[in-house]
Amino acid sequence: MKTNELIGHVDSDCFYVSAERVRHEHLRHIPVGVLGNQGACVIAKSYELKARGVKTGMPIWDAAPLCPDAVFVKRDFRWYEVLSRKLLGVIRSVSPQVEYYSIDEMFFDASALREPAESLQQRILQEVGIPVSIGISRSRTLAKLMSDVRKPFGCCTITDKEEIENFIHLQPVEELCGIGYRSTRKLHQHGIRTCWQFTQANRHFIRKLLTIKGEALWWELQGEAVIPILTERKKHKAIARGGSIGRPSTDRERLWAWTVRDAERLIEELDFHRVLVGELVMKLSYKTAGDWSRSVRFASPTGDFDKLLEAAHHLHLVACLELQGQAITHIDLVAERLCERGAEQRSLFEADEGNASIAQLKRATNEKLGRFALRSAATLPLTDIYNDEAFNYDVCDIRDKTCF
Amino acid sequence: MCDGVALSWREIPDELIGKHGLQRRLVKRGEEADREVQFLQRDRQPVLPVWAGGQLWVWTWGPGAQSRLPANCCCNNESLEAGRWSWLEPEPVEIPASYVWHKGVWYQSVGGIRGILVYDALGIPHVYVLTQPASHYYKVMTRSDRMPVFLGDGI
Repeated sequence: MKTNELIGHVDSDCFYVSAERVRHEHLRHIPVGVLGNQGACVIAKSYELKARGVKTGMPIWDAAPLCPDAVFVKRDFRWYEVLSRKLLGVIRSVSPQVEYYSIDEMFFDASALREPAESLQQRILQEVGIPVSIGISRSRTLAKLMSDVRKPFGCCTITDKEEIENFIHLQPVEELCGIGYRSTRKLHQHGIRTCWQFTQANRHFIRKLLTIKGEALWWELQGEAVIPILTERKKHKAIARGGSIGRPSTDRERLWAWTVRDAERLIEELDFHRVLVGELVMKLSYKTAGDWSRSVRFASPTGDFDKLLEAAHHLHLVACLELQGQAITHIDLVAERLCERGAEQRSLFEADEGNASIAQLKRATNEKLGRFALRSAATLPLTDIYNDEAFNYDVCDIRDKTCF
Repeated sequence: MCDGVALSWREIPDELIGKHGLQRRLVKRGEEADREVQFLQRDRQPVLPVWAGGQLWVWTWGPGAQSRLPANCCCNNESLEAGRWSWLEPEPVEIPASYVWHKGVWYQSVGGIRGILVYDALGIPHVYVLTQPASHYYKVMTRSDRMPVFLGDGI
């Protein structure tokens, strides 16, 4: 990308809440919280709820007393995806290059934008119904910083080098996308607290301190676009499915049921991306704030559900032995060492995948009748979860995003 | 279960608001928010909005002063199906609600909830909210084992 081009960043204001307000007008101007997968935690909050001290991730039993008149809404990722893609469509209509960064954020080439950011903002509000904040500048890092600063429902276009310098003078370094807690601490130790100070530091020093990613930010803050707009997501290095299992559990059957559910979701994703898995990792978190992780390497990459399940079962048994009595809170299955289907090195000592026809039947049935219509009987202990259709679609099921 | 429902004031005809003195139940959750009427079980005279016979009514919620009627404010769906309410000749009704209140949590209700209508010895209508075992999500959200029977999308 040439450095004289402009990059825009569109960031939806409290996206999930705004999405709910599109279809339920009565939720406007009131404190609203969207609850996550288990109905326990606030995953999105309106500005009215935020003003009452409710934070993202807060359990409902803490949030409701803080704001007794708040209205809580059950999440609906299918609906959020509908609006997200609508938003993507509007941005694609004004820009030749758009990066679908996350469900509520997009980067776009703003060089040929024929209207001011405010007009685009109004158009999005009219066509999608979602309020957004827009930042436009010489790099994506600057654009994102600008849209963040102007939230909610603000626009910021700064392209002049001197004005950019004035702008970053006031911005704390921890506001940068990619600068987390540890990086912030490192920078603070060296007296670097603002984005401007970051740009004044020696580039090689920043690279040594924060690797090549830190150096990229250094260039970006100078107004040099070194991180391109990705119009297609990069190939997956790993694919994971899992997360919270609701109430912490020591029940082996229930834990195995969750593992099978995750395996079924994982195989769907492997099928969609036409990749095989070389190594399966199981990650567990347990109540005493510990983490556990083990993996199984396959003799040759596989996309066979039974092999995947066999490996997951082995890991499940090892976990039961090693974590006896620990209440598990999260289970994640991660497919690593991915390779494209047809490009794998086949093993001489492995039989062909025998149950492919069953897997195909399962896939065809579920495509026709709905996700999980046909599923492993091992998941029966989770009938309560499967009875709730909203459980069947998560934010990670929204494809093509570049963020995760 | 259910401790209250709220309905946008726009959905309630003025005459009903006047007739039942619902003005005192008008609430706003924010300065620019739309007004709503809250029908709470803890009110001295609990009432509920009810759709019956193509018309919106406001009727007594639970037994009121009628000691011969079931004492609670809800009707267990299982007991209804088992015929334990048949002596009252219950009729199904719909309770419109934008939001439902339970155990200190207001949550959105798309379509409202189901109820039953029974008449006391004087022929006065009483409404009970129909309940069912809570879904996993609902249990976590409200910490209750029972939830209303929802019209439209459940929770």
